[in-house]
Amino acid sequence: MSSTGPLPQQPAQSWGMRRVVAPIVFALVVFILWELWLRFFPMSRAVIVPPSAIYETMVNSLPIFMKHTRSTLVEIIGGFALASVVGVSLGTIITMSTWVRQAFYPNIVFFQLIPKVAVAPLFVVWLGFGSPSRLAFAVFMAFFPIAVATATGLANTKLDAVRLGRSLTASNWQIFTSIRLPFSTPHVFAGLKVGMTMAMIGIIVGEFITGQEGLGYVIMFASSAGESAPLYAALFLLATMGLGLYSCVLLAELAVQRWYGAPFASEGFA
Amino acid sequence: MKGTAQVAQIVGLPIATAIALCIIWQVVVTTGGVPEYFLPAPSHVGQKLTTSMPELLGHTAISGLEAVAAFLLATLLGFFAAAVLNYSPLLRDVLYPGIVGFQLIPKVALAPLFVVWLGTDSLSRISFATFLSFFPVLISTLTGLQNADPNAVRLCRSLTASDWQIFVSVRVPFSLPFFFSATKVAATLAVTGIVVAEFITANAGLGFLILSSGPTMETPTIFAAIFMLCIVGLSLYGAVALLERAGRRWFTGA
Repeated sequence: MSSTGPLPQQPAQSWGMRRVVAPIVFALVVFILWELWLRFFPMSRAVIVPPSAIYETMVNSLPIFMKHTRSTLVEIIGGFALASVVGVSLGTIITMSTWVRQAFYPNIVFFQLIPKVAVAPLFVVWLGFGSPSRLAFAVFMAFFPIAVATATGLANTKLDAVRLGRSLTASNWQIFTSIRLPFSTPHVFAGLKVGMTMAMIGIIVGEFITGQEGLGYVIMFASSAGESAPLYAALFLLATMGLGLYSCVLLAELAVQRWYGAPFASEGFA
Repeated sequence: MKGTAQVAQIVGLPIATAIALCIIWQVVVTTGGVPEYFLPAPSHVGQKLTTSMPELLGHTAISGLEAVAAFLLATLLGFFAAAVLNYSPLLRDVLYPGIVGFQLIPKVALAPLFVVWLGTDSLSRISFATFLSFFPVLISTLTGLQNADPNAVRLCRSLTASDWQIFVSVRVPFSLPFFFSATKVAATLAVTGIVVAEFITANAGLGFLILSSGPTMETPTIFAAIFMLCIVGLSLYGAVALLERAGRRWFTGA
């Protein structure tokens, strides 16, 4: 983000350095203070433990953490993949015809506004306490933003481009694959990024309430066990996972943009 | 301008679709012999809504008040924090990457931490929901404050306006669209936060009612409670949307 001050107070290079170094230094200071504070003013281990204890716990019970991490990761990726297919397909189908779009689009947007997380226990009633109910719930959480974004992207294709294609005798299918689809990619990927976060929320909340396996289960279990080190370790793993998965979507976006030859701005057509 | 017939189609068609879906649901459940614990018919949910309305209203009041409190806190804190970060480039450089990074991790996972720190009562639920809905307000408002038209800022500065005057009469009006689009996200997140917190603290409220009705297979109660939650969520969202219109009108002077 660019600073909007009247004059650059310092040369550009030192600004850049500060922007990279400052957050890293800050994070290090927080961790060191956290460690030192607890060394001098011990608190109940049920509430907080020093970073060194979190690391120790993670190393000592690595196999257990790996097992739960794998369960969570596999379910998030599965839920996200399913939601992407369902969301993009649904978004495409409802933009095929004006009637269908007018009939369904407002309802889907409406669904975005209600707290969908509340539906989680219904999936347990329908599908039991296992993995299928968590997966289905994650798909339910994640596909709405993807469908809405896809529909928005496809509907907002630059009309000039479509007209040009049509005048060059392109078929509807050709217009779809070589004009509408590339133009909608920024929207679709915006939807996929939200969808990834939603899939994660879906799996974690699912793990909270089914209480069988996964990092969400570890967090719930540790929070009531009077020993918070596993809780913080699981949170650390989830945070890493979140950043990693988000980066994957970002990389996929870059790859698709490169494949189409240019970064398509949603309104640009040059 | 669009003709009346067109407007009727745009408004009527989605409503007709929703009603048609409800009718199909009703017919399938009643003629197909779907057990009530699996999927109750809309009419059963309606019955449940009327017969246990007092109980439902009690839970709704708890969840609703907590969600509103969390929303207000998150909005105020988010705006205030954005103003502070806008004022200090150093703080911005130190904290902003962390704040954006924080948006990418599933914050819902931190809910049990709030229980560990603050116990299982209202305070812990409101804190968690505030925490969840605070970040979008902060990030969006800061973006708005920073992206105020530099020409307008320069003009005011050359007219010897103070930083505070520029903040109030240039940056804040420019940031309002950003701020309000974020408050709508925050409204949904506040309700989500309260529901998740009620799932795991399990004292009272609609989230508690939904979760505790699962094992006893009282599915109509689950649907009735979800219906009430939808009303809470939509009312909050609607109130914010109305405020947005008022706020924009006030600042553009139109």
